[in-house]
Amino acid sequence: MKKRINKVFFYVALFAIAAIWFTPILTIILTSLKSQADFFSGSTLFQLPTKIHWENFVEAVKVGNLFTYMRNGLIVSFIKVPLGILVEALAAFAITRLSVKYKTAIFIYFLFGMMLPMQISLVPINIMFKHLQLHNTYLGLCYAYIAFGTGFGILVLRGFFNAIPREIDEAAKIDGCNKFQLLTKIILPISKPAIATLFIIDFLGTWNEFLLASVIINKTNLKTVPTGLMSFIGEYTINYGVMSAGVLISIIPVLLVFLFFQRYFVEGLSGAVKQ
Amino acid sequence: MKKKSNFSDYMFLVPAFVIYTSIVMIPTFYSLYVSLFKWNGIAPKVFVGLKNYTDLFFSDKIFLIALKNNLIWIALTLVFTMAIAMGLALLFNKEFRGRSFFRSYFYFPYTLSIILVAIVWRRMYDPSFGFINEFLRLINLEELTNTWTANPKIALFCIFAAALWQSVGQPMILFLAGLQTLPKEVLEAAKVDGASNFRTFFSVTVPLMKETFVIVIATQIISSMKVYDIIKGMTGGGPANSTQTLATYMHAQAFLYDHLGKGTAIAVVMLLMMIAIVIPYVIYTAKSE
Repeated sequence: MKKRINKVFFYVALFAIAAIWFTPILTIILTSLKSQADFFSGSTLFQLPTKIHWENFVEAVKVGNLFTYMRNGLIVSFIKVPLGILVEALAAFAITRLSVKYKTAIFIYFLFGMMLPMQISLVPINIMFKHLQLHNTYLGLCYAYIAFGTGFGILVLRGFFNAIPREIDEAAKIDGCNKFQLLTKIILPISKPAIATLFIIDFLGTWNEFLLASVIINKTNLKTVPTGLMSFIGEYTINYGVMSAGVLISIIPVLLVFLFFQRYFVEGLSGAVKQ
Repeated sequence: MKKKSNFSDYMFLVPAFVIYTSIVMIPTFYSLYVSLFKWNGIAPKVFVGLKNYTDLFFSDKIFLIALKNNLIWIALTLVFTMAIAMGLALLFNKEFRGRSFFRSYFYFPYTLSIILVAIVWRRMYDPSFGFINEFLRLINLEELTNTWTANPKIALFCIFAAALWQSVGQPMILFLAGLQTLPKEVLEAAKVDGASNFRTFFSVTVPLMKETFVIVIATQIISSMKVYDIIKGMTGGGPANSTQTLATYMHAQAFLYDHLGKGTAIAVVMLLMMIAIVIPYVIYTAKSE
């Protein structure tokens, strides 16, 4: 009996916390269904409007350029993430399985980038990009993203590569693999779980990055989702309902990615840290 | 022959080295150099020595507010974010139906863009139509309503709550991973010896999870030092500069007012504070395997 009461209490507490955690999203949903007039007519947030304003969603996409931002986010992520992983894998391979000197020192050199504040290189990057005319180009943005991603990528891949038995290298050598083939034909395929985790985390990291994107990209038609959403805040023409509808729409792709790949976040991340 | 193969081994490092060095390392040193000048990016640089730094610490009130806010943020993170993350991790370390759903549920906000989270929480705090004030009116606690992020006294704390909502899932997952590596026998033994849950937690669980704590504390302090997006999205540093952080103030000085020397000096201060935290952490990470 006591166990039963405990269990009931446990679930009540759990659902209460979960409900509190949901209030921000609830607010956005309720707001997205209303027109500006509904707010000023004196009805409270919790009352549904007499007419649900689905057109807010249409408006958000049209006026808010949401699909443009999402498309740009996809382009940038799909350029940055695979290239970044390739660059990181090459380096991690060198410091785990090749005859390179000062491996730990090299590793630490890359690790620093993971923890340095991006602000420290922002002004020089801005000056450099002005000279090279890389502002408002995805080449510039992705190049910088890859640079800032190397630390984390090498950390994850190095941990995984280290766990692969060395005998494999010998066997591959006897079978006539050169070093590059050892990496592409043997090490990388074995490392699929680590690469998948890195891909997902990196993809969302790139999709959500704001500071660097706001410095390098200022043309509306080139903006990614966070910088695009930021212009929502500034635009007085867009009302609360439309803004909230836009937010809900931009949650959807991330939610889908999360639902499909959630085990990579929940299990992969902790694995990466332990290795 | 052997030497040649060695050289080709280093080639694998070249792409990462070139890209990383050109964007992260060289600019870092160039920033150190620029911070010694008065410069708007167009006119010639004027060497001023350490004046940018002394100005910041002795005559720039906003800088001191920003510095203080970062320290407050670190303290809030270490107390609230860590406590809630640990609480949730302990909850999800139990076996119960729906466990993995709830675990993902609390983690999910961490995958969202912080700018998006900022817009969401602006709706929460809106004085007229926001959830919090509307809810307080609903339960007849009108006197507790506030202007929240428009009130300089509490704005920073309001933003922190939003950041906590967004990011608590990450330390939660790390704690959960740590909890799952604990040897079951030790916890059982503590129970047999009659230790209370409370006692077991502080005398057994916490010491055994030292490694996890180091990682969580280090990452939390590092991200507290970098706080930018959530402030930019919610208040932009206002009202009356009450929510400026080093990162937002650096951005304002360097990119809005074109004070490149002063802006980079703020970045250098951030860097030095981070190094003080990061070096022990890097050594620890590199060693632990």
